[in-house]
Amino acid sequence: MTTFHPSVAQELDQADVALVLAGDVSAFEGIVRRWQGPLVNMAWRYSRDRSRAEEMAQEAFIRAWRGLAHWRREGCFSTWLFALAANVYRSELKRFPTQTLPLDAAHEPSGPASQHSELAVKLSSEAVRRAVLALPMRYREPVVLFYFHEMDVAAAAATMGLPEGTLKARLSRARTLLRQRFPHLEEEHANLEFSSQVEGKEAAR
Amino acid sequence: MNQAKIDHSTMLDAKIEAILASEEELIPSSGFVASVMERVQEEAVAPPPIPFPWKRAIPGTLLTAGVFGWGAVELLRHGLPALSSPALPLPHLPAALVVPVEQAGWLALALGVTLLSWLLSRRLAGRGGLL
Repeated sequence: MTTFHPSVAQELDQADVALVLAGDVSAFEGIVRRWQGPLVNMAWRYSRDRSRAEEMAQEAFIRAWRGLAHWRREGCFSTWLFALAANVYRSELKRFPTQTLPLDAAHEPSGPASQHSELAVKLSSEAVRRAVLALPMRYREPVVLFYFHEMDVAAAAATMGLPEGTLKARLSRARTLLRQRFPHLEEEHANLEFSSQVEGKEAAR
Repeated sequence: MNQAKIDHSTMLDAKIEAILASEEELIPSSGFVASVMERVQEEAVAPPPIPFPWKRAIPGTLLTAGVFGWGAVELLRHGLPALSSPALPLPHLPAALVVPVEQAGWLALALGVTLLSWLLSRRLAGRGGLL
């Protein structure tokens, strides 16, 4: 996947949008190529369903196509696109919710026999990710967008159209809920690190 | 004790953060761009949706608003004094019922006009049927 420097991407987006608005439909392809990865990955984080992620991203691109004239040029195109995609994903998930366990049922899968295995850590990591989907929407979305935007509070807040303080408060509440569900996560990961250190030492001998 | 609890929470937060930050990257399927562009092309050649004929609907809307306004004025004029009278003597009861019946007539007329103007505006917009 080709990645662009933000300022380069912004210039390319502006040029493509101008061409599309002038009637060149094929110029929209440049926008799709540049943003397909981020939009599909964002949808994946919202739904954790690969096939559905592409469908949701496609819908977001179609809405972007329809609403391209509404993008105000002074703002960053990606901010507008992400906010639009978040709206699309939110309403899609309202219409057809993902199959998730209730948060109370999303306990960490730990047990004495599997505690040292890498598989157990993978399972618990997946359980944490699934538990995010079981959070109430007002806490789930800040978590999804915060990590999607590589822990950039400002970007996540801009995508949600919320003040940064509100987003931080919701993130904090979400962390508390997750912490309550996974009280032994730290030990499990520490055990794995310890056992891999031991294995490393034994291999060195 | 409290310090240990805080340390545990911080460690736990760090672990959860590490898990959520290390999400695997999903690569869109090879036909994704083509399928999006196909839908975009379909949208581009499709005729634009017919806008609601506001110019034609304005007279009907004004008429409806007028009827409702008039109805409200009449209701206030006749209805409020009837309501404010503390207790009607029994012989006056049938006479008091006449006013609400008259008002119901006006209300039915207003609703009928509203329905007609709505149906007319839908017909002008090129949509048949009731829905």
